[in-house]
Amino acid sequence: MLTKNLSPLQAVLMFAALVVVLFPVFWILMTAIKPPTDWNASPAIWFPSEPTLVNFKTLFDPDALGEYGVGGVSQPATKAVFGSILATFVATALSVTIGLFSAIGISRYGNGSKATPLVILSGRMFPPAAIAVPFVIIFSNIGLIDSYVGLICIYVAVTLPFSTWMIKSFVDDLPREIEEAAMIDGRSKLMAHLTVTIPLIKGGLFATTMFIFILNWSEFMFALVLSYTSVSTIPVQLAKYVTATAGTLYGVQAALAVLAMVPLVIVGYLIQSHLARGMTFGAIKQ
Amino acid sequence: MRIVRPGGLSNAAIARLFTLPGQVVSLLVLVMPLLVALYMSFTDWSPTHGSLFDASFVSFENYSELLVWDTRFTYAVVRTLLISIVCLCLEFTFGLGLAVLFLRKFRGKSLLFSAFLTPMMILPVVVGYIFWMLFQSNGPINQILEFLFGPQAALEWFRSAPTAIFAVILTEVWHWTPLFFLILLSGLNSIPENPIRAAIILGASPRQVFWRVVMPMLKPVITVAFVIRAMEIIKLFDEVFMLTRGGPGSSTETISLYIYKLAFNDFQLAYGAAAAFLVLLGSLMLVHLLLAPVRDQLLEGNR
Repeated sequence: MLTKNLSPLQAVLMFAALVVVLFPVFWILMTAIKPPTDWNASPAIWFPSEPTLVNFKTLFDPDALGEYGVGGVSQPATKAVFGSILATFVATALSVTIGLFSAIGISRYGNGSKATPLVILSGRMFPPAAIAVPFVIIFSNIGLIDSYVGLICIYVAVTLPFSTWMIKSFVDDLPREIEEAAMIDGRSKLMAHLTVTIPLIKGGLFATTMFIFILNWSEFMFALVLSYTSVSTIPVQLAKYVTATAGTLYGVQAALAVLAMVPLVIVGYLIQSHLARGMTFGAIKQ
Repeated sequence: MRIVRPGGLSNAAIARLFTLPGQVVSLLVLVMPLLVALYMSFTDWSPTHGSLFDASFVSFENYSELLVWDTRFTYAVVRTLLISIVCLCLEFTFGLGLAVLFLRKFRGKSLLFSAFLTPMMILPVVVGYIFWMLFQSNGPINQILEFLFGPQAALEWFRSAPTAIFAVILTEVWHWTPLFFLILLSGLNSIPENPIRAAIILGASPRQVFWRVVMPMLKPVITVAFVIRAMEIIKLFDEVFMLTRGGPGSSTETISLYIYKLAFNDFQLAYGAAAAFLVLLGSLMLVHLLLAPVRDQLLEGNR
């Protein structure tokens, strides 16, 4: 594109946009380090009087707020953090592994039928609420409700279209001739894929894994309806903190929100150049 | 080229083998529940009525109730569609504006690029929570309004329907404009320069170049962006759940939120399943309508 410099008016517009984009992030970060006296001050306090980490401590030790004379949260977030990590890691690994084989199958041996891909894509559009109802009933009958196994099954099923499609777009980028050369060398198809295809799409696999991690870590609705007492995830815990009578423990809630978003923002920046590909099922590449 | 090795598997066999796990998962975890829900939607079952098989069969009663009498359902559908249309148009406008600015030269471009992508990396629940805080009556948004327009400008955002819907739309637009920006910018960057040079040499004004040359070439990318976002926003749940829970009353209820409340607050599971099925049919039609223009791009355009 024929590039010109930014005009002063455009620079002002961009600065305004930047303020709008960053202000909410600034607000949550500031709230997370506010001492209890600043949480619900009216008018709101923009910069905490005495920045503190007590909110984060309270997440794991509900009595930590005692020194301020404030009752802590009813429930520590330890289990939710553990639950999020467990469910997200296992589900991501499974989703990417299954997706990898589906992707190679579809990309290299697809018989040209357009039905399968469309089914996979349509699955993405169903409102989770619509699928959640039967899930809860089936799972409560077979004892998978309120269990990590059940949660992980759903996470895998829900993210599979993304992992399959994203990996497929990386496999598609690879010339077939490379694998065929290995096959001529005498390796079986399976070995050719394991030793040639997979190492060559390493970068793509990493990006996909991170992308699926983002999706699983963010998942809220299924975790909400499938968890009662023994299972919890960070988003569910955040919703609980907000609804509970402790609804005005702004600082602690904000601390949990920050804890939830920091890994995602880091991972997001890491795979920034692949985000468009992931979100558009590989239709847009950068 | 086909290479068949002695003892090797045929292509069709490999295809089946490789895609099998994915298909099994989809079948067990997506298709089977749907069948159960379909059966259930024709009964009057609720968890207090014992086993699903003992429930009495009511044929299309749930469906006719939903379509004819349940105005809350109709409103939820219409509201979701309206919110979606407004959000997508705003996201497109802001995203395109920002993407066009990013075609200019300036310092710190890659840093700013990352900064502008930040919202879409944050999980929806947290975005909902952040905006819930911002819109509190003693929150910063009211504070800014008071500063600019005097004390009477402060609003109880979640107490009236129009302001609550405004809050939902603003949240959604903040969250997902970066995706439009990202997709449109990558589209703009891949537009060849020669047609633009030609148009300029032929005396086209910058405005004409943009609308007559750039935009037509950008059309496929714009379509993909709209389709992808439409597929997601139609499911809108997390942010609304954190912001308003559908309130005040049911004035910000989306389809997903209404079904959620039916099934998990009121335990009208059979009725909820019927609603879910209507929504599934609706989205299935919509998805095929939406996918029609980009089908090839999504399925085969990768080659």
